[in-house]
Amino acid sequence: MKKNNIEGWLFVSPLVIWISLIILVPIYIAFELSLFNVKIIGTTGKFIGIDNYIKIFGKSKFLNASLNSLYWIIGNAICQTFFAFTIALTINYKFPGKKIMANWIILSFIIPTVVVVVIWKLMLSSSSGVINSVLIDIGLLNEATGFFSSPNKAFISLILINSWRWSPFLALIILSGLNSINREMYDASKVDGANFIQQFLFITFPNLKNVLFVLGLVGTLLSFNIFDIIWLITKGGPSNATTTLPLLIYETAFTKFRISQAATLSIITSFLLLLFSIIFIKSMAPKEDD
Amino acid sequence: MIKENNIKLLFLSVSLLLIILIFFFPFFWIITSSFKSPEEIIATSTTIIPRSFTLEHYNKILFNSDFFIYLKNSLIVSFSSMIISIILSVSAAYGLHKLKFYGNKFVEYSLLVTYAFPGVILLVPIYLLFAKVNLLNSYFALIIVNVLFATPFAVWMLKAFFKLIPNEIEEAAYIDGASRYIVISKIIIPLAAPGIASVAIFCFIISWTEYLFASILISGDHLKTLPVGLAGIVGQYQIDWGFLLSGAVLASLPVILLFVFIGKYFVSGLTEGAVK
Repeated sequence: MKKNNIEGWLFVSPLVIWISLIILVPIYIAFELSLFNVKIIGTTGKFIGIDNYIKIFGKSKFLNASLNSLYWIIGNAICQTFFAFTIALTINYKFPGKKIMANWIILSFIIPTVVVVVIWKLMLSSSSGVINSVLIDIGLLNEATGFFSSPNKAFISLILINSWRWSPFLALIILSGLNSINREMYDASKVDGANFIQQFLFITFPNLKNVLFVLGLVGTLLSFNIFDIIWLITKGGPSNATTTLPLLIYETAFTKFRISQAATLSIITSFLLLLFSIIFIKSMAPKEDD
Repeated sequence: MIKENNIKLLFLSVSLLLIILIFFFPFFWIITSSFKSPEEIIATSTTIIPRSFTLEHYNKILFNSDFFIYLKNSLIVSFSSMIISIILSVSAAYGLHKLKFYGNKFVEYSLLVTYAFPGVILLVPIYLLFAKVNLLNSYFALIIVNVLFATPFAVWMLKAFFKLIPNEIEEAAYIDGASRYIVISKIIIPLAAPGIASVAIFCFIISWTEYLFASILISGDHLKTLPVGLAGIVGQYQIDWGFLLSGAVLASLPVILLFVFIGKYFVSGLTEGAVK
């Protein structure tokens, strides 16, 4: 196909300009702020160079939040991969009601996050939650437990809630990859005696490279950025166990009023995510055939 | 062969059961609970079939709260964000996938990496920027941000639909003397309509569910969106569950209604657009 430089750029430029303005200008502002010691929004501070950066790296709160973010990403990746593949492979079968299920499985994704929070706060409530009473009825628990009361339980509960929200959406994207696989490959492999686990490993999985690449990249970044589910349920507690980097930034800026420190955290975090993205794209980007 | 089919059937039934239990039961639960008496909602013993029925929570939220103000705000913000997102992303996707140009791979990947920046990282500087240009407390502040979050993925979704349109159709039209404008409005957009519909829903959902920026950039009560209004109830020390649940159901209703009518385009758009 011939190149169409001027027209091509003309078509993409409105979006590119919109996005760059709303990302680059704020990033510049954040960088400038990170070199000062501004506290409350609207006040001015004095220039202190890279002091904020040096201070932040020495803080245990930063290390704690970074580790939490790392566990958060890994936990969500495992959990969502499992849920999303189970849903996608199930919907890929033929069964009565398949269409309805495929259309409505995404319900948890289209409702506001706040509603997700409401649902699970009610279901997991320690005093009147249906989950507690079911677990007690079937004998798995002796007495009602607080799902957000201990650090580990809170962290795991939040991962499950977040996965509940995102997995159906991811499942549909995986399904799009499954649909693009040539049916004949499965028939041919059956003739060769492959069972369905082998089919999954040697046909399904390799053919999903493109989809998995985008999901791996965007999914990781999206998981990292989750704020509202955690904030509205645990506020980062108990004892900072669920404070990931986004929560730390929010807290620093809007409850502790350390604007410059929050900006410094934002710059460091952006840098880390950008680094991750570049490495991920360079090493995993599928080769295009066109 | 029979053995393998049995395993498949077992897998199918177990996973179907789990999926219904995990992904559908919670909706049954909050909808039925929103009609229960306040005592039953917080009762320690739970029964699956509701014992009481009341409309008091809905009465309270519809006639005794700011629900309609929040609803109006959410609708204005979400519709405007959706329309702007569609215009920008259809144009960009056409440029990226129908016209090859120098740097298009770079733009394509940069758009995906844009997801590295949203969320809290941009919150502080965007707040300061909008304060400087007097955009705080306006619908436009939220629209600007929502478009930023919706478009990168929208462009990626559109790619699949645009690739399905054979170049020959376009080339034939050019030979017949059609202009670029005619080709886009009479060929590309109609052929990609299901895709554009699904992207539109996606953009609407992104705006409809956005909480973080709406909670910080808007402080006036008359401009708050539904998620922020609801979160205000969640944060109260003594939660009025009935009030909260009916609010949650009502806040989900518009997206669900939208989904009833054009949801199948969204799902088939996602699943049949075949990412090639």
